[in-house]
Amino acid sequence: MTATVLRRAAELLLVLLGLSVLVFLLTSLAPGDPAEEILRRGGIQPTARSVAALRAELGLDQPLFTQYLRWLLALLRGDFGHSYTDRSPVAAEIFSRVPATLRLAGAAAVVAVALAVLASVRAAFRPGALDSRAIALLTVAIAGVPPYIVGILLISVVAVGLRALPTGGADSPGAVVLPALTLGLAGAATLLRLLRADLAQALRLPFVKLAAAKGLRPRRAIMVHALRVAAPNAITAASTVLAELLAGAVVVETLFSWPGVGQLAVSAIRQRDLPVVQAYVLVTAVTTVLVLALVELCLAAADPRVRRR
Amino acid sequence: MRKRAAIMLATLLGMLLAGCGGQEPPGGNDRQLTLAAPRDLVAGPADPYYTHQTLRVWEPLVTVDDKLRPVPALATGWDSADRGRRWTFTLRDGVRFSDGTPLTAESVVANIKRFLRIAPRQSAFFSLDAGMEAAYGKLGEVRAEGGKVTFVLDRPLADLPSRLAGFYSMIQSPKAFTPSGDFAGKPVGTGPYTLVNWVKGQRAELAVNPHYYGTAPAYRKIVVRVIPDANARVAALRAGEVDGLIDKGALLPGQVAAVAGGFRVVRSPSVLTHYLTFNASRKPFSDPRLREAADLAIDRQAIAGKLLAGTARAGAGFLSPVFGDLAEPGSTVRYDPGKARELVTTAGAPTAPVSILISSAETGQFPYTDIAEVLRAALEQAGLPAKVTVAEATKSVMEAGDYDLFLSAYSVPNGDADYLFRRFLRSDASWNVERKLGYRNPDFDDLIDQATEQTDPARRRDLYHRVQRLLATDRPMIPLAYQDNPIVTTSKVGGVAQSVAYVVDLGKLAPLR
Repeated sequence: MTATVLRRAAELLLVLLGLSVLVFLLTSLAPGDPAEEILRRGGIQPTARSVAALRAELGLDQPLFTQYLRWLLALLRGDFGHSYTDRSPVAAEIFSRVPATLRLAGAAAVVAVALAVLASVRAAFRPGALDSRAIALLTVAIAGVPPYIVGILLISVVAVGLRALPTGGADSPGAVVLPALTLGLAGAATLLRLLRADLAQALRLPFVKLAAAKGLRPRRAIMVHALRVAAPNAITAASTVLAELLAGAVVVETLFSWPGVGQLAVSAIRQRDLPVVQAYVLVTAVTTVLVLALVELCLAAADPRVRRR
Repeated sequence: MRKRAAIMLATLLGMLLAGCGGQEPPGGNDRQLTLAAPRDLVAGPADPYYTHQTLRVWEPLVTVDDKLRPVPALATGWDSADRGRRWTFTLRDGVRFSDGTPLTAESVVANIKRFLRIAPRQSAFFSLDAGMEAAYGKLGEVRAEGGKVTFVLDRPLADLPSRLAGFYSMIQSPKAFTPSGDFAGKPVGTGPYTLVNWVKGQRAELAVNPHYYGTAPAYRKIVVRVIPDANARVAALRAGEVDGLIDKGALLPGQVAAVAGGFRVVRSPSVLTHYLTFNASRKPFSDPRLREAADLAIDRQAIAGKLLAGTARAGAGFLSPVFGDLAEPGSTVRYDPGKARELVTTAGAPTAPVSILISSAETGQFPYTDIAEVLRAALEQAGLPAKVTVAEATKSVMEAGDYDLFLSAYSVPNGDADYLFRRFLRSDASWNVERKLGYRNPDFDDLIDQATEQTDPARRRDLYHRVQRLLATDRPMIPLAYQDNPIVTTSKVGGVAQSVAYVVDLGKLAPLR
């Protein structure tokens, strides 16, 4: 087990290093001169002299490799640079917004898991029933609609029509409901399809059939035996859904003016605020890689077949 | 079993909805107002201005009226002497900053000197760079003399008040700044409101400035929320969460008709103009006949009326009507597809399609993709094959000279016409040279140089009219449409007026009974 962990850790380091190069290149090689665009706010045209001065101040006149090394060393010290827009430290900005995003992603995960478990168990009990079919249809439909549209629909009906919840912001406790539903529904669709298929398969396993033959009530057979067999796949899927939630938060946070990192990323992209974009991509990518690695380790601990690979 | 599942689902929904009490109605009391804007109107302590002029936390020396003419703000008047080399500004009496200290000529000088010290400095609103150069570029010295502020310039400048208007003559208490020129704490201005609370990217809360010299504003407190998504903004208005949407791009052209039924839409002209820029440094538009053909082939009325949903007017003269008497009155909207075709036939149609370049950054605010398609169709009808290119970084495409037409919107923050001509089109202008416009006309250069130093307003106006007549025949850039900036409020808010530079005077807003 120790060897597995060490090997994984070494691989992870390489992946992270590669990731840093990619993130740096993605944003550094993007066309356009950030110095000029910073100065061009409000549609006015800056002088060549000021553009040159700002390029020097931002270190944009250095060779690319020097820029990368500087950026990486600063990164290791926890310095993500300063925002091009308002010169504030990027690290503080990003990490002050992390709790809001985690709150939203957490609420969305609760929605996704609860809906997926409830609906798949329901479908397992009565596979042919009308409501099971309706749930299946709805899931496919929701999975096919972009979260932005789902969000707009929820806002129109719940916030504008019924005035039951705010349209956005994070000022009142109810404000998290609509964005969490929007984000959670998309995650629920993925989880539900997996869990329902696994559950249906588990119900056909001999030991579940035996339990039923012995006179165990169907509820206990499904909730205790079949669900436990079906869960591991869904747990693996849940980790990818969590990554999807973090990515989906970009759209949903902007739509609902939710003060998380996703909203920050969108406004940074609009303003070509490269240090913020770099930091955002890096933080989400590292989080995703770490979560996936953690899940893999958990599975390895649980399943000897994975360890031997 | 079914019942149990239903109960579980209902419990889940109940848990989700728990704790979400109905939101407080913004119009709950008459003394508080909640507005929303697409961007944060507070930029923070690292910004040269901290807040946008709209919030009325600070005031400038000079502002502009609805014809972009300079009018008094903290300065009640100004005189020029020595043929525009010496300008003296008289200050308003009895003005105090929000910390209670009086406004003096010395405090004004301290502000101007701070600007010069920290420039160039980027800003979320107007960078202290190009504008600074336009405002103070010919500055020799600024000093306080007998309670007045005097600028002694190295070279004559006929329109210093215009150039100073708005952001470039923002005045705050010198105590608001550290010696390095950054803000020490909150902004300390002379306007009707003070900034009491700010959550970056979320909301700004304004309260009445107890030391304000004018009539106290009707609302004791104003909250300005940031809602970047256009649909979410309108939803917040419809849901009654906000009393109005203000600032540049508050309503997209396509949304105006949708909200016009239940709300008060204020549609006022803005300084924003959509221009079509020609790459005349290469074929085919190095041929003036083909530039004329393109100009005549475009149906500007259709673009303004249909694609921009009536939020714009068809462009005629280079300067839009918001420039008042500086705009050439004889300009007319041209549209003659027959003549355009004739010109193309005479000059010879190019074999390769001409490329119409648009920026992906601008397609979110205006329907540029649709407009570009309409332009493409119009050019093809005239016999000029065309294609549309959407680029993220239009600058590099233009600097490579790899375009024929560029569609984009420009604005001038103050009524400074010279800035537009000198910075974009003079033979040595960075825009003209670097972006391969290929425009060279010594007469044009000479006329704008004369206008800069001409202190007689009538003569200066005539010079600018001649400049525009020249541009109408040379066609380096042609105006397509003059854009309005529609804003909207509920019927409970009165006193809504917007300047051409998108500034809504929050101090004049009052509840309607």
